[in-house]
Amino acid sequence: MKLRTLLSLCAGASLSMLTACASTQPAQDTSDYDPLEPVNRVVHGVNGAVDFMVLYPAAMWYRDIAPQPVKTAVRSFVRNIGEPVNALNSLLQGDPDQAANSVQRFIMNTTIGFLGFNDVAADFGIAYHSEDFGQTLGHYGIGGGPYIVLPLLGPSNLRDTAGIAVDYVSNPLTWGSRNSETLDTLYLGSLALTALNARYSTLNQLNELQQTSIDYYAALRSLYRQQRNAAIRNGAEPSAPEFEDESASADFDDAFEAAAN
Amino acid sequence: MKSRIAIPALAAAIVSVTGLMAGPAFAGNATSASSHTVEVAASRSATDVIKTLASEAIVGLTDQSLSNDTRRQNFVALMDRYFAMDVISRFVLGRYWRSISEEELNEFADLLQDYLALNYASQFKDFNGEQFVVGDEKQQNKDTFVNSQFVRPDGPPVSIVWRLREFGDEYKIIDVTVEGLSMGITQRDEFTAVIQKNGGEVSALTENLRAKVGK
Repeated sequence: MKLRTLLSLCAGASLSMLTACASTQPAQDTSDYDPLEPVNRVVHGVNGAVDFMVLYPAAMWYRDIAPQPVKTAVRSFVRNIGEPVNALNSLLQGDPDQAANSVQRFIMNTTIGFLGFNDVAADFGIAYHSEDFGQTLGHYGIGGGPYIVLPLLGPSNLRDTAGIAVDYVSNPLTWGSRNSETLDTLYLGSLALTALNARYSTLNQLNELQQTSIDYYAALRSLYRQQRNAAIRNGAEPSAPEFEDESASADFDDAFEAAAN
Repeated sequence: MKSRIAIPALAAAIVSVTGLMAGPAFAGNATSASSHTVEVAASRSATDVIKTLASEAIVGLTDQSLSNDTRRQNFVALMDRYFAMDVISRFVLGRYWRSISEEELNEFADLLQDYLALNYASQFKDFNGEQFVVGDEKQQNKDTFVNSQFVRPDGPPVSIVWRLREFGDEYKIIDVTVEGLSMGITQRDEFTAVIQKNGGEVSALTENLRAKVGK
């Protein structure tokens, strides 16, 4: 597969660049670094047009037509497809317990959960937890690097783009789909459902952000950075004080002193 | 120590937005006995401030019969009372607040309040039996972080962290973080991007805000 080889090469090349700036603390980017902004804004605009014509209407239709049990089943299915990648990345981040959880979930849900459409593991108290390779890199202190708006996929950065490539090549399903038509159909179907589910679940927030913001692009860029920071520190404790944004603290102190005078 | 306060549905999101603003607040008439042993000079604890804000937001924002204008006015009043609006106004301008006069800053602060009220007050309308649960608080450097959760019937709870600082003898909110997303930082990043695009002119942002709020 030429695409796969190309992606592996790209991933390898950007990884070697990125690991040069690794440290021992989980990465927490505190400001937007966007040297490609002019290009990114163009891609952002094109994505918006595609979204408006395809994804948004599909998500609206899905919201209005599909009954809640169907939506829940689709979400479970999409999540289940990603469990092997979650397990691998939890392992890479030195969290074997979490990796075991993901493996257990995958086995249970794929079998008695009928290909993952039922999240039976959750009923047994094994909660879903997502880890991707971008987070793994962040876990080892690699910052996001330049912000990148990917065609179709949207907000990302150099680190997370490399992460997407690695997750793609490490996903057993993408390999399996090379040799089996059934798996190939499953894989393609899962891509479509993933897109639908993702767009549906962000419908309200994105609508609102688009309406209220003055610079939608900049707002999205900031939210992407913060959301990745939260995912990397495993957001159970959002904005835990020890990970507080240093530049924000300094700014608050400045503003505070000025206001006090 | 958890206290449960019934709150309308989207209140949490709104509240978090409201968190962006603060002004001169009257603190002190609510003498809540706090069980915290932190050595604070403030007349009531940060946790109590959030609890009071929550109950006032329910009364003033979730009533279905309120007109949009009234709801917005109530929203602004809550911001004035509970949020350090002068600090927040400077913060969301990033380094650019230094480049404008006191007058321009006040004008911006007013517009910011209208802007936030316009964006968020209406969300409280759909409040429908969700619960707002105030959790523990943590001290970190100069600030107190109050954890809370917005518990929805149909989905996982939304975590909201309130950042408060002591002004004189009372706590004012300076930031609200929803699921790891800081409203203040998001607004700062967006606003400074607008200013930057316009050659560092804060007036460009002010014009944009004016157009948004229709003034």
